[in-house]
Amino acid sequence: MSSVAVEIVDIHKSFGKTRALRGASLLARAGEIHAIVGENGSGKSTLAKIASGIILPDAGTVSVFGATPRTPVAAIAAGVATIYQEMMLAEELSVWENLFAGSDSTWRRRRSNTQKRAETHEVLSRLAACPIDPDARVADLTLSVKQWVVIARALVQKPRVLIFDESSAALDLEATSRLHEEMRALRDGGTAVLIVTHRIAELVKIADVATVLRDGETVGRLERAEITEGNILRLMSAASGHSARGRSAAATAVGAEVLSARGLQTRASAPTVEFGLRAGQIVGLAGLEGAGQVEFIAALAGIAAPVGGHVEAPSGQVDGLRAAEAAGIVYVSGDRKREGIFPNLSILENFGMAIYPRSGRLFGLLNGAATSAAFAREVDRLAIKSGQPGDRITTLSGGNQQKVLIARAFALSPKVILLNDPTRGVDIGTKQALWRQLRAFADAGGAVVYLSTEIEEFFNFVDRACVFFDGSIFAEVAATDLSEDRLLAAMFGQSAAPTFGDAALSPKPAQMEGAA
Amino acid sequence: MFTSVPASLRHLIVPAALVAVLLAVAILRAPLTFSPVGLAGAVLVAAPLILAAMALTPIAMAGRGGVDLSVGPAIGFVNVTIVVWLPALGISSPFGVFAYAIIMGILWQGFLAALIIWLRIAPIIAALAGYMILQGVNLVILPRPGGIAPEWLASWSFGNDLFGPVLWILLGACVFWGFFTRTVLFDHLRLLGADERTAYTVGIDIVTARLAAHVMAGVFIGLAAVCLTGMIGSGDPTQGNTLTLQAVTALVLGGTSLAGGRGGITGSILGAVAMWLVFVVLSSFNFGAVSGFMTQMVFGLILTASLLLSVFTGRARVRTA
Repeated sequence: MSSVAVEIVDIHKSFGKTRALRGASLLARAGEIHAIVGENGSGKSTLAKIASGIILPDAGTVSVFGATPRTPVAAIAAGVATIYQEMMLAEELSVWENLFAGSDSTWRRRRSNTQKRAETHEVLSRLAACPIDPDARVADLTLSVKQWVVIARALVQKPRVLIFDESSAALDLEATSRLHEEMRALRDGGTAVLIVTHRIAELVKIADVATVLRDGETVGRLERAEITEGNILRLMSAASGHSARGRSAAATAVGAEVLSARGLQTRASAPTVEFGLRAGQIVGLAGLEGAGQVEFIAALAGIAAPVGGHVEAPSGQVDGLRAAEAAGIVYVSGDRKREGIFPNLSILENFGMAIYPRSGRLFGLLNGAATSAAFAREVDRLAIKSGQPGDRITTLSGGNQQKVLIARAFALSPKVILLNDPTRGVDIGTKQALWRQLRAFADAGGAVVYLSTEIEEFFNFVDRACVFFDGSIFAEVAATDLSEDRLLAAMFGQSAAPTFGDAALSPKPAQMEGAA
Repeated sequence: MFTSVPASLRHLIVPAALVAVLLAVAILRAPLTFSPVGLAGAVLVAAPLILAAMALTPIAMAGRGGVDLSVGPAIGFVNVTIVVWLPALGISSPFGVFAYAIIMGILWQGFLAALIIWLRIAPIIAALAGYMILQGVNLVILPRPGGIAPEWLASWSFGNDLFGPVLWILLGACVFWGFFTRTVLFDHLRLLGADERTAYTVGIDIVTARLAAHVMAGVFIGLAAVCLTGMIGSGDPTQGNTLTLQAVTALVLGGTSLAGGRGGITGSILGAVAMWLVFVVLSSFNFGAVSGFMTQMVFGLILTASLLLSVFTGRARVRTA
């Protein structure tokens, strides 16, 4: 058997009152892809940060090829490269400066700037599959290219241990399979690849070994053949698979149209989109990155005006945020850092922000009691694991932050909820709870538009899926016809479902948007 | 707009244009300033401000909203101690004075850096405290202007030779900075200022990078103090204080972001030169007793206008979202 790369034994770590890890262990060997799985708040990311020297454990031992990293500098020296869940980028600096950040030691330059530019061009052309100007400012890049920059930064370190913390969240299917190829190549070269992920389908496909965490404890270690969706779910939580999903067997009563798009264009040259949403419906939106679904949902929410056409609600035209509010439309984003949370504010303030105007008193005074009461109600309903309501929102795990944002949306008692990839970086238990809540909301006469990058989320959940291709809706798939092949085919602009072995094998339209 | 200008130079468009316009006006209004003798005097008068603005640059680049307000009193401190302490120690040689001034500048910056790095005090608070401490200390050491600088240094105050020592000090400081920008430390400093968390997690030694910024500032403070002492030929416990606000203005005029990560010494020098030109132009009018206030007001107006202009040249981005 090959040598031990990372050995973590009985780690304990608390943040204030929150016990993130209590007895977590992990053993990863060189030349294996090792998945770390668990629910939100089970301590996966903390474990990854401990192996990277960012966080020091309260108790327990960490060994990376025999060394104990106590700072990022030491971890990198031991051969660890980590891709963090939060994209670590200096937005104002250029692509190449970001890509080679930290590659030189303080007193010695390892590559000239000319070499760095050339290598940046070369490595990003390979990974992102489109040419990217090394001198472009990172702030001008799309989310997926930014993701490739941080991935490339780790790869150029030629690491002996590579840690991915939820790093494929911003990548579409086709890019994810390219990432998997990179991971396999690294593994075959003898690197220990650790992936922290919520995407069970992904890890079943790629992992050689899986360590399962529950409430900060290692509850299982699975090897190759034992890694199945069923086994992992069973270990992770009491919740079980697809059966727990929200869609009731009985057909839901469908009401009047609550939102529609007429002649809407997501970009100048794209065909128009006709779309109708009725009370009681849940509609899924899918598509490869850049196919127009994000622009579409932003137009529905009144956030960004469409290039052409308009959005209508019974209360009138939705041409901005005020009109959207009047129409009872709320929008929840999966990009929590940028479109969701106020990181400096407390959990309660983050929740209450939207309902202040309604619950407020005369002269704009806040009604603290009403906000707290509403919060207590939603915490119960959504099972938010939170410390004190006055704690900063950033003390919560990503999944629980998302629950707070969804609670904020529900607290507005909306007619329509628009969700833009809300389950990014969220575990299966939270997802299932969310699906149940949304279904209950729809059954009570609400309507939902649900954009997701993971099409398997749609099964047994949505009433129909609209698949975007090249700027407009290419296909609408009814719930009864939903299948992975059918959706994938539509995403790639094919009306029939061919036999897909792997998304990467299909001819790929050039959808990646490069640097400006 | 201005897309033909490389991004790395875009922050210099506004200060360079400002200097060009002011220069044209100054040549029309005060042609005598641009005679060799006039320029020699100009270099002498502007040098402390230029060096003070240079001292602020690396610290601002290191981020955390670092504006070293103490730069003026720190220059004043080195100035009064050159006059009061060095004669008592029997040091009067050029080498001794330069070495003393630079070491003192570095020590002071090291003290600030220690507060910021190890005690985690916000840079602006550390700088403000330093400003007040040194103001007091300077007055204790030398209650009123006086004392005599070493003879070779005092002779600078005649300022009739354009290619005199002050110009060489300025050039030397620029060359020194030029070398610094070619080091890995400088790259690390930029990253640190642009995003400290990223810098930390990619394995940059952020303590060394931040220290380097302060050491550079210390060197420039020392050189500024020597120039100031040469200009006034004696010690003055309060003259340095006014340099702080002027240097901050020059820094901002020069396009260095107070939020960190972006900027450079060229901009700061242009900013300082622009401020001196404003002074020259205003001096050519007769505002009588209110001329001091007039200068302040014009500085403020130009600062506001140049920040507005910079929005259109893409050096700063308006964040409305």
